[in-house]
Amino acid sequence: MRQFEDDPVNAILDSDVQAVPSAGERALEHFLIAGFVRIEPPVLHPAAIFLDMSGEEIRGRLFLTNGASGEELCLRPEYTIPVCRSYLASPKAGRVAEYSYLGPVFRAEAKQGERAQTGLESFGRKDAEAADAEIFALAMEAAALAGGPLAARLGDVHLFDAVLASLALPDVWRRRLRRGVVHGRSLSAILDGPGQSALAQPGVLAAMESADHAGAKALVEDLLAIAGIDAVGGRTAGEIADRFLEQAALRSGEPIEAEKRKALEDFLAISGDPDEAAEKLRALADDARLDLGKALDAFERRNGFIAARGVAIGQTRFSAAFVRDFDYYTGFVFEARDPARADARPALGGGRYDGLARRLGAAHDIPAVGAAIAIDRLPARRAH
Amino acid sequence: MAFDAATSAEPPFVLAVPSKGRLQEAAAAFFAGAGLELAQGRGARDYRGALIGLPGVEVAFLSAAEIVGQLAAGAAHFGVTGEDLVREKAPDADLKLELLAPLGFGRANVVVAAPRAWIDVRSMADLEDVASAYRASRGERMRVATKYVNLTRRFFAVHGVADYRIVESLGATEGAPAAGAAELIVDITTTGATLAANALKPLDDGIILRSQATLVASLVAPWGPHARQSARAILDRIAATEEARASREVRARLPARAHLIVEKAVERFDAVAAAGEDVDPHGFVALHCARAKAADLAGWLLQQGAERVSVAALEQVFDAVNPLYEALEKRIGASG
Repeated sequence: MRQFEDDPVNAILDSDVQAVPSAGERALEHFLIAGFVRIEPPVLHPAAIFLDMSGEEIRGRLFLTNGASGEELCLRPEYTIPVCRSYLASPKAGRVAEYSYLGPVFRAEAKQGERAQTGLESFGRKDAEAADAEIFALAMEAAALAGGPLAARLGDVHLFDAVLASLALPDVWRRRLRRGVVHGRSLSAILDGPGQSALAQPGVLAAMESADHAGAKALVEDLLAIAGIDAVGGRTAGEIADRFLEQAALRSGEPIEAEKRKALEDFLAISGDPDEAAEKLRALADDARLDLGKALDAFERRNGFIAARGVAIGQTRFSAAFVRDFDYYTGFVFEARDPARADARPALGGGRYDGLARRLGAAHDIPAVGAAIAIDRLPARRAH
Repeated sequence: MAFDAATSAEPPFVLAVPSKGRLQEAAAAFFAGAGLELAQGRGARDYRGALIGLPGVEVAFLSAAEIVGQLAAGAAHFGVTGEDLVREKAPDADLKLELLAPLGFGRANVVVAAPRAWIDVRSMADLEDVASAYRASRGERMRVATKYVNLTRRFFAVHGVADYRIVESLGATEGAPAAGAAELIVDITTTGATLAANALKPLDDGIILRSQATLVASLVAPWGPHARQSARAILDRIAATEEARASREVRARLPARAHLIVEKAVERFDAVAAAGEDVDPHGFVALHCARAKAADLAGWLLQQGAERVSVAALEQVFDAVNPLYEALEKRIGASG
């Protein structure tokens, strides 16, 4: 079976005939012992769910097909959404349920189109920080058992949002900052970059500068009526007016006051050992008079749980600028890599995603946190 | 190689041309202009034909979209289709296809168009901002109706627009916003009249592709000696016609030392001596030059002592050096 040696999927499938359990099985075993029930969700799902969640840029990586009535389906490109759908369709929906999984996910860019993944998902737990810590610790332990120890990076989307909220920035800047930081852009690239002051219609903007929402909306409606333009397509006159108001506000005066900018810079620069980071965050909150209250309390509680779980401190670093897709993650986020390959793609990733259940049709948010391990990116296990 | 023995049974050279509409008429006219008449089978429903005067070439009449697929699969050697379809349908176009020559007809642009009512949106930067605000306030992505899924994805990525969803549309895309099926569209347009009629406007920097009908070669088709010969014959005729269209023949009888005059003419007017470098002992010369320079060359020849200069149009000019075929051979490798 030499030709399958570095092929994770076949390594799993062939494991019955091998004496030694595969890397994936060793990781899964760890989750099962911790009480995470193995689940095997369907392979086919509506493509729209993944495209809505992650955007069109993933379309090229999906294996797409059509159902009998023409709806677009895809092979699961990951496990979290499929597991969440199975959970919501089960009698346990809304209650506490904890799952583990092991199997292939299907990606056009992967070797032979698939890649073995294992992981765990926890739904419904009210003790969020303890659940965060447990999922993170279990995943790190499983990765170490299956391959070798990883170096992790922690972030907190909720904390980042709390900083933006307490700075009382205009919506347009909050949006740009969230998006820019997710894409790893520097603060100056986001705030001073091109395209920030595209003044399409200076005359209209000048007229808007002293207007309120109602006045701006009336002006937009009049402009459309004068030009004889039918109101077609998704956005209302009110939304168009609001954007003019935003642009007018951006046009007049500094985009962001210097002291707020300084606070943002200081916040995004915070990184290092989680406990030290917590101290720095407290100091920053005092200095810049930011009200990070609950977000910071939760951050410290989680650090405590992680330390109590015995995850080696040297393995984890917190970075305030490490955030992942805000549309999906709602709190704690993490990823971990083979330390021997610092530039490699993460072998492990996850976080808290309380909003997903509602996006998938549940009536309310359901607390949820999970982690996934890409087995082929783990360090190779050393022969003993 | 085991296949060498089979060269005598080489499959026919397949030229795929559009089977209907204006593109078909324009393609037929283009080949006819190059002296290559397309002969369709007896019935209008016969989808195989021939090139009159060039045996061994099979003409396949297909839809413009199918032509791209046939070329990418290596089932056709040459095809005439829109560049928009090549870029959309063959993501690995550069590996499998060679765009030999734009043909000057079937011009249209693939554009991003938004409702005219969006008076605050004129550029892709505006769209990026509006799309992200739309998603933030509604929790849904803005929908883009199009049949150009790949072109749209690539173009939007370049402009940093991420908060959108594609709604595939296979006909009457421009009606999607009015029907509430999408917020904006990416579609092909020639005059913009259809967009305007649907209360849509193209964005200022929203031109994704300026497309036109293009002669495309498949790099993965079987390129045996017969296929190469056919390709060369077709490209020779196309190049010869294009060269003739752009050139004039200037004839004169020159006084003594005619070869020096010819040398100067070649240099000053970028002309070509039609009969080569040796000048006829009686001083008769024929020069080919760009159409726009013909009159100047004629005047100059009179100054050099010619008594009478004629300028004539040309039907076809074949040249031993054919840049179209060279471009193809560079990709498929020299025969051997």
